[in-house]
Parts: sequence; C-alpha cells; structure tokens
Amino acid sequence: MQLLLGIAAISGIATFLAILMMIADATIANYGEVSIKINNEKEIKVKGGKPLLSTLMEEKIFIPSACGGRGSCGMCKVKVLSEAGNYLPTELPWISEEEKKENIRLSCQLKLKKDISIQIPEELFNVKEYRCTVSSLKNLTYDIKEVRLRLVEPNEINFRAGQYIQFEVPEYELTKERVYRAYSIASPPSSKNEIELEIRLVSNGICTTYIFQYLKEGDEIIINGPYGEFYLRESDNEIVFIAGGSGMAPIKSMLLDMAEKKTNRKATYFFGARSLRDLFLLDKMKELEESLPNFRFIPALSEPKPEDNWTGETGLITEVLDRHISNGENIDAYLCGSPGMIDASVRVLTSKGVPENRIFYDKFA
Amino acid sequence: MKLSPEMKKIQEKMQPGVITRDGFLGSDRRNLIDILEEDDAEVKRMGLTHQEIANRMLYFKEQGLRGLGEFISVPPHFEVRVDSARGKLPCPFGDPGIFQKTNTTVRNLKLGRELTYTDLHIHMIGSHGFYEGRGFPFRLEPRDIVEVLEIIPANE
Repeated sequence: MQLLLGIAAISGIATFLAILMMIADATIANYGEVSIKINNEKEIKVKGGKPLLSTLMEEKIFIPSACGGRGSCGMCKVKVLSEAGNYLPTELPWISEEEKKENIRLSCQLKLKKDISIQIPEELFNVKEYRCTVSSLKNLTYDIKEVRLRLVEPNEINFRAGQYIQFEVPEYELTKERVYRAYSIASPPSSKNEIELEIRLVSNGICTTYIFQYLKEGDEIIINGPYGEFYLRESDNEIVFIAGGSGMAPIKSMLLDMAEKKTNRKATYFFGARSLRDLFLLDKMKELEESLPNFRFIPALSEPKPEDNWTGETGLITEVLDRHISNGENIDAYLCGSPGMIDASVRVLTSKGVPENRIFYDKFA
Repeated sequence: MKLSPEMKKIQEKMQPGVITRDGFLGSDRRNLIDILEEDDAEVKRMGLTHQEIANRMLYFKEQGLRGLGEFISVPPHFEVRVDSARGKLPCPFGDPGIFQKTNTTVRNLKLGRELTYTDLHIHMIGSHGFYEGRGFPFRLEPRDIVEVLEIIPANE
C-alpha cells in the first residue's frame, strides 16, 4: 500500500511540474520581439514564443495546413535558412532524410524563440483569408454536394483554374478545435465574388460531416487560399482530362475558363463513375461541348445497373483510356482523384507515350 | 494492470495533440494494457486472432483498390471503396513509417451494415491488437468488424 502511495505521489508531483513548466512557458516565458526574414527580402517583427505557422497566420501569411497546426498532416513545411534548433519528436515522422539536409521544418511545431530566416513559395503571398457566407447548398449526387460561397471580406479572390482553398471547420461535436480541409474550386477564375466547391462525403470525416449535416445556407464561414500547382499549362498540345467523383471540381473550373477564353485546343475529358447515380453535371458538360468545338466529354461507368440503360462507355477509366488513346506523344494530361486512380491512369498514359513531364495531377493524398 | 515504462510512453503518445489532434483513446480512462487485454479477450472469445482480422481488412482494401476510387462489387454481397484524404498518420506504437489517410469503406449488402477503416487501423490491429479507445469516434469494435466483414474462425 505504501509503495503504491509512493508511486502515486511521485507521478502526481511529476505531472504537476510538467504542467507548471507548460504554463510558465506559455505565460511567463518572454521571448520578446523576434524577426522573421522571408525569402531574404521581406522582414517582419513579431512577438516570440508562438509556433511559426500561427505567427505567420496572424501576419496574414498562410502556409497550407490541413490539421490547423497540430502536427498531424505534415503539410506546413517550410525551409529554414537560419539555425533553428533540433527537430522535435513531433516533426520527425514527416521529415525525410533529404528534407533534414535542406533544413525543412514543420512550421506548426517550430516555436519562435529567436530571429529566423525562412524561404516560402512566392505564390503564398497571394494567399488570403476570406470571410464568406454560404449562398447555396445543392446535392449533386447522393454523396457529392455543391457548396457555393459568397465572399464578404475581402470580397474578391484571384486564382488560377485548378487551384484549391482551405475550408475552416469551426468547433462542433466532432472536433474541439478548428480544423482545415482542402477543396478544389469548381467555378472559373472570372467568378471573383463567389466560388463553388464540390465535396464528397467521407465516412466519419470531420469536415465533410460538418458540411453535410451542419452547414446551412446563410452561415458564415472562413476560407483561405488559393493554393496549388494544378493549373492548365500554356501549350498547343491536345489535352486529356481524367477525373472521378469530386475530382470533377478543378477540371470543371479549367473547362469553364477555357470556354470563356474561347480556347480551341482539342480536349477530351474522361470521367469515371460506378453507375448512373454517381454521374453529375451531365447537362453542364453538354453545354461545354457546345461552346468548346474541340471538346468531348466521355463518361464511363464501371458497374452500370440494368435499370441505368447505359449505352455509353463501360469499364474502369483506365480501360477506357486504353481504348481511346493510341499515340500520346502530343498530349498534356490533367488528372484529379484518388491516388489509386491517378497511379493507374499515369501507367496507361505513359505506356501510350505521354511524356511524364506533361502529366499534371492533384492527388487526394 | 500496471503499465511498463514503454507502454506508458506509448499511452502518452496516444493522448490528444501529441501525434494526432484527437489522440487514439477518446474518453477511455482505462490504461492501455487493460484496453488491449479486453479487446484481446473479445477476439479470442470469437475464436479469432488479431492477424486474421487484419488480413480480412487488408483483403477488402486490396479488392477495393480495383475500383480506382469508386465503389466496386466484391462477391458474394459486398461493395468496397478505397479513397484517400490528404495527410498521413504515424503509428503511436513507434513503428517505422507513416500511413496514408486511406479509407476503406465496406458495405455488407446482406446485413445492410457498413464499416470504414484506415491503413493505420489495419496495421494497429494486426501488429498490436489495438482497436483504439472506447468513445473515440474512430474506434472499431472487434465484433463489428467480424460481423460486417464476415470473418469466420479458421477451425469452423
């Protein structure tokens, strides 16, 4: 009994001291003003002591992060040009040996205790936070929802067709803190005051459960963006688009942009779904076929039901690609969807001669 | 049961905010050994091993991958979809590597029931017999897995 009491007392004291140190670090420790030098150009003075990610956010510089800064997504990497101390155990799972040599750090875990110099992609300076209201919610299929957001402050966004934003989920039943999830913009860049997202329900997903079960028209939400390198490259090559499910969103944005710019490039869009109930925006694709003379939409069903009376393409999207593409030398390919679909499609495309450096994709990974 | 220093470290890693935002234990106040032992006993009562359960989960994941992100029929009466969310998760037991946030959703059309699990679930069940803490939204009840995936003991 005495031994147990002893162990309990020691554990209690250790826990108390640990909590005390955390409180002291958060309240008493004063790191004063520190400077963050960005890309050897811009320099900002900030209050030290907080993680780099949240400090930059307060300065309206947004580093992509899907978990809101808890070290569980590994997305918020930045290159540190100055000395920044040892890696924390919470960073190590995300940092490869090569990244260590480059001094890449997880900005959400790196606390600002002294002056620091970092390098971030220039395009992140275009990233802003936007207050929006939900202007409409519409079911596109049984598990894909169209969400339209009207921008309030600032009321305009500039982005390239194919890029994505991060949607902030407030605290609710499934999360005690704000979390962020990335969604591609489905509307064209010309629509600066209102953006559209196409979101597929993920079982138990924190963000999609919120959007499908809690979000209402008129609600105010926060997004930040735009992000991403998935956009149409200038070229005269034929374009092949490949997508499935909510991978439709960035491709639709690119096609609407092409239609507005009256692009004449030959383009074929292969869209994979399981059965008729998984297809959506067929009317919109028909409209695009009419406004883009060299555009063709090819939906394919992998398991059509007898009642679908489907007369179009059948089979997995890779089988359809294999049937339709003979020589890929002059093709640029743009893919959006699950890693499995993208990996399998890339194998087919390269086997047809599509150069690897002309294959662009946005993997949900 | 008393935790070894090693298990204590692992349990600390399972707390919210250490390696994942929500941790792995939810509102479960039992120590890790008790959680593991209770689930182990439940699995033994069903005449199974954790590895057999993980193998069946892996089987459905591999079948589902053929659907390239869409549901695909798997005989005799299952539908499976494998899709991914952005991000990765490390194993709280300290095993090397990180696991893609890949969700496998299995619908048992005969029972009208559905189960979703990640690659990390398969690993934690197969290698550690860990199904996560009670009350945690991502915990998988061993009996639910066995019923939905129709796992039959090898000696039956």
